[in-house]
This record gives sequence, structure tokens and C-alpha cells, in this order.
Amino acid sequence: MTTRVTTPSARTRAPLATLLFALLIGLALVCVASLLYGAGDVGPAEAWSAIHGSGSADARFVIGSLRLPRTLVGIAVGAALGLAGALIQAVARNPLAEPGLLGVSAGSALAVAVALVLGADAATLRVSVAQAGALAGCLFVLAVARVNGVGNDPVRLVLAGAILSGLLGALTSMILLIDQRSADDIRFWIVGSLAGRRLDDLGAILPSLGVALALVIAVARPLAALALGERVAVGLGHRPRWTRLLTVIAAALLVGAATAVAGPIAFVGLVVPFAARALAGPDVRRTLWLSLILGPILVLAADIVSRLLVAPSEMPLGVVTALIGAPVLVAVVRAHRMPAL
Amino acid sequence: MTSRSIAYATSPRTAPGINAAVTPPTASPADSPAPAAKAPTGTRQLTWRFRGHRGAVLFDRRGVVTNLGLALALALVAIASLCLGSLAISPLAALQGLAGFGDPMNVFVVRELRLSRLMAGLATGAAFALSGCLMQTLARNRLATPGIIGIDNGATAFAVASVLGVGVGLAPPPMALAGAVTATVITFALASDIGTRGYRFLVAGIGVGAIFGALTQLLLAQVAIDAANAAYPWTVGSLNARDAASLTWLEIGLGLGLIAALWFKRDLACLRFADSVATGLGVRVKRSRFAALAVSIALTGLAVAVAGPVGMVSLMGPEIARQLSSPRGVPLFGAALSGALVMVSADLVGRLLVAPIEIPVGIVTAIVGAPFLLWILLRPAARFRR
Repeated sequence: MTTRVTTPSARTRAPLATLLFALLIGLALVCVASLLYGAGDVGPAEAWSAIHGSGSADARFVIGSLRLPRTLVGIAVGAALGLAGALIQAVARNPLAEPGLLGVSAGSALAVAVALVLGADAATLRVSVAQAGALAGCLFVLAVARVNGVGNDPVRLVLAGAILSGLLGALTSMILLIDQRSADDIRFWIVGSLAGRRLDDLGAILPSLGVALALVIAVARPLAALALGERVAVGLGHRPRWTRLLTVIAAALLVGAATAVAGPIAFVGLVVPFAARALAGPDVRRTLWLSLILGPILVLAADIVSRLLVAPSEMPLGVVTALIGAPVLVAVVRAHRMPAL
Repeated sequence: MTSRSIAYATSPRTAPGINAAVTPPTASPADSPAPAAKAPTGTRQLTWRFRGHRGAVLFDRRGVVTNLGLALALALVAIASLCLGSLAISPLAALQGLAGFGDPMNVFVVRELRLSRLMAGLATGAAFALSGCLMQTLARNRLATPGIIGIDNGATAFAVASVLGVGVGLAPPPMALAGAVTATVITFALASDIGTRGYRFLVAGIGVGAIFGALTQLLLAQVAIDAANAAYPWTVGSLNARDAASLTWLEIGLGLGLIAALWFKRDLACLRFADSVATGLGVRVKRSRFAALAVSIALTGLAVAVAGPVGMVSLMGPEIARQLSSPRGVPLFGAALSGALVMVSADLVGRLLVAPIEIPVGIVTAIVGAPFLLWILLRPAARFRR
């Protein structure tokens, strides 16, 4: 099978390798900035010397034990959310579909809250529970898309998702109000933030991220074929039903993992594929790989802003992503011709 | 429904879109000595003569019955809300306490604690629902309530800024009003070329609401924990220990808003048709729409200043009223009554459900209202034309 799914516009754009290289440099810069800047007393110069092994013990502690894990967690969360957004948009064929807006993140947050109330505690359990909740949210969204007329109208699907998201959020708040112990346990998690995340948290989600990445590699080509229509995909020897199922599972694994470690964070999955399509054109495979790198860049940049904007206190990461993402949402909705996926 | 509405559109003078509006004489007495036109089915006409002038009032029978039923239900829920709570009081004792005699403990609980809460619930519920009904009518969009298109969140952000003492040192009501106006201007400016009728308007509004929600969080992140706790009720929507001054603002605003809304009720009924039809019926479309928008924003802003964003009430109130009353007019009064009913019932449920802990009314209405909203959004299109 040598059929290549390329679009005419792809030839006029920069080659994927160049784009990826440029973005990797950008990611490296953001990583360094994330190590250098913080809400605390350790300034950029002091942090720089601490990275080189000199500097005070305090500075080395702040860099090694606080900012480095936080940056690594940010990379994982950003990659997961960006990739999940691109996957969900491709499978729903909807440029507005986004795990946060559609209620997938809210579903996994609710699942974690319920599990905590029922007595669960272990970090690994939190990951699998969050992924189960995300899967339920994804399946609900796909079911809604099958209701007559909704699947053909991207905006209506997003509206349904936003309502579902509000419902799940209200249920979560109610559970937390009733069960004060769980509320104390996850108070800093439920708002969506990278503050205080440790390397253990990262280790807990890495296996499932690996599985999800393998799934993405497997479905990238069938997804690109599916973008040409169900019949073309079947004609090319793909099985659309399996493609969709595997894509949804991969997206649920990614969103669940990201939510388990950082809490529900909206709009990353909307902005990242949007930017990726602007850079690389409509081919799903190019969008997927670019999203994998654009996601960490966005999340780390937003995290740096969240540390600096109200320093010396910090604000939730979700606030910054909402401030970036909501204008993008409005712009996409207002576009006369919504990009067809 | 279709045939009726066409008949209505072609003969607005005899159309009973209004519960109690004075219809002008259908013809001058000189050329038609016969009595005035017969009242349409489902309505009752009240005619009188006074010093040679003939007047007539047309009542929509179903609308009157609905409103009476809603008022009765509201009265029952209101009494229940005075009786129930951590200290249960018998209805008789509660009414005695309300009148100021009987057990002094009951008098204190009923008059000082529960009555002000009940009043806040009634006023905010009626204001949210009336505001939602106006917004839906002027946008010609059944889901376009202030809560969905971001106006609640705009008012909340400004009210929180006022509580935290950030920026201008104004009380919450004027600040919430300013926030509601700001959010409305942004949302409607964004809707300038996509129109207000479709789903796009709603999602654009959700985007605006998300920005204001993030700004609220941004404000809360900057202040000490005590100040943030003082602003907490505004972030979820609660009727617990609300500020009396803000409630007075709201009650005045609600009174004026109801009068204004009933004043241009006939215009509103015509606004549901295409602009050309409404203009043909003698409605100044732009002016009526602007008036409805102004009242709607004012009511939302003032209600948010009291209870925080309880946006679902502005969807549920009008929807209940519309299901119950006749499809002829815009059920403004019915919407206000249903809204108050929803608000007070939701508050009562939130207080009683897991008793010593109180679930804020905003969370209760969100849990009840979201499935309702999903149902409206997802039901088959054929059922829109009933």
C-alpha cells in the first residue's frame, strides 16, 4: 500500500522536518525559561548559576526539586492535551472539539472525585480512574454526535459538550462540598495547575502515555484516510470503526493522564491543533506531530505566565489557558467558513 | 400552532397576545352599530362603557389560569421554605412568627433569617427568569439566556472586583451592572456578522463568559484567603446571608423592569416574527429590541449582585412558563413566577438535601438545569414545530 494522502497545499508549506526542528528549538527555549523564572525569590541569574552546579543550596533545591519536575510534568501534560485535542478533532471532524470544552476533562475530574469519596487513595489508581472517566466522557460526546443533526453541526456539538461540562463540574463541586476530607485532598488539584507536582506523578502517567503514543502511531495513517471520507478509507483498506475506537481510546488515555496529574485544564486541546493546522495544513498526520510539540510549548509558556502575573502568589494554569483559548474559540466560531475536517 | 400564528400575524388587533392590554375599538361606533368583534377562542373579553368611551380587556384564559397556578405553587414553596430548615417550624407557627407573635425563637428564625433569604430567592429568581425571557425573545434564540452568553460571568467578575476592593470603590450592584453591560457589548459586537439566531452566537458567548470567568479567578488569586472567601458566594451562586442593600437595589429594579416589560409586551410578541413582519405590524423593531435588551441586562446585573451567577434559572423559568401557558404571547409574568418558584425550590432542596451542609443554589440549579438544557438542545428538530 503506497497510497499517500497529501493535500495540494502541503507542497507549498514548509517541510515537516523544518517545522519540527524550529518548534523543538522553541520548546528548548521555553524549558530554560521555565527553569529560570518563578514566583519565588530565586531570580533568573541565580537560577542560571544553579543550573551550572554553583549557586546557593536554596537555589539548587528550588531548581532541582521544584522547577525541574514542574517543567517535565508540564511537557508531559502539554503533549498529552495537545495530541488529544488533535485526535478528538480528527475523529469528530470538528475544529471546535476539545477535551475541556466537550466535558472529557470534567468527566475524568468527576471520576477522581467519586473514587476519592469511595475511599481510593493511591496515585496510580487516580490515573486509571481519571482515564475511565475521560473514556466515558468521550463516548458520551460521540453518542451525542450521532443524534440527528448534531454531528453535522460542529457548533451544536460543542454547545452540548459545554453544557455537559458544566453539569459534571457542578456534580464534582457538590461531592466536594459534602465530603470535606476529599475536598482537602484534591483542593490544589481540582483547579488545574502544575504547582507542586513531583517526579512520582510523572512516573505514574508515563506508561499510559507510551501506550497512547503507540496507538497514535498506529492510527495516524487510517485517520488521514478517514478525513477523505468513510468510503475512501474503506477503499484504501482501512476499517473506520476500528480507527475511531482506537483514536477515542488513545485520546481518553491522554486526557485522563493529563487530568490525573494536573487537574482539568481547558482550551489547550483547542489552541494547539488550531496553531498546528495554521502551520502545517490540514493533513492529520502533520497536525498530530506538530501538536505533540506545540502542546508543551503552550502549557509551559502559560505556566510561566501563571507564575509571574500575580507574583509572589500563583494562579491556576487553567486561568491562563482560558485567557489564551477563549479568543481563539470566538475567532473560530466567527469565521465565515469554518475549517472543514 | 402554525395556522394560529399566521392568523395572529395577519390580524394583530384582535390577537390575544396580551394578558391584559387594552384593545382599541375595532371600528368606530358610527359605521358599525353591532357589538365589537367576538373574543377569539381561549380568551375572555371584558368590555365596559365609561362616559361614552368603550373599552375592552382581553384575557388569555390559559395564561391567567397558569399564572394563578404558578402563584399558588410559589406560595406553598415559600411557606415550606419558612418552615423547614435546621429548626423545623409548623406552618401555623411560621405564619404566626411572620406576623410577629408566638414563640420569640420562631419569630427570630422566621423574620430575621428565613424571610430575608426567601425574599432574596423570590427577587433573584424572578429577575433572572424575566431577563432570560426578554433575551430569548429579542435574540430570537431559545437558548440565548444571559447565563449562556456570558453576561452573568461579566457581572460576576465586576461584582467580585467590587467585593475585593480592586479598582473603583463602588458597591456590588452598580459594578455588576457595569460588568453586565460590558459583557453584553462584547458579545453582541462579536455577533454583529454571525447574527444572534444560531448556535454560533451561543458558543461565541460561551467564549466571552470563559474570559470573564478566568478574570474572576485572576482577581481571586491575588488577594488573601479571607478576602477570597468573602467573594466565594459570587463564584457559585448562593442565597446565604445576602447583602440587604443589594437586595433593595434588585427589588426596585425588578419592579421597574416588570412594569417596563409589561408595557411593551405587545411589541415583544411581535418581535418573535421576522423583522419585516414586525415592522409591518407597526412595531419599531430596533427600539423595542433595545428596550428589551436594556431591561434584561439591568435585571441580570442586579440579580448577580445579590446571588451570584445562577444562570440556569434564566433558562428554566421561561421554558416552564412557555410549556404551561398558551403559545400566543411572551409569558413574561409567568416566566417571573416560574423563575421565583425554581429559585426558592432549589434553595430549599440545597438546604435540606445533606442537612448540616448547605449546597449553594447555583450548584443545585446547574445539576437540575443542565440535563434540561441538553434535552432542549438535542431533541429532534421536528418537535420545535409543535
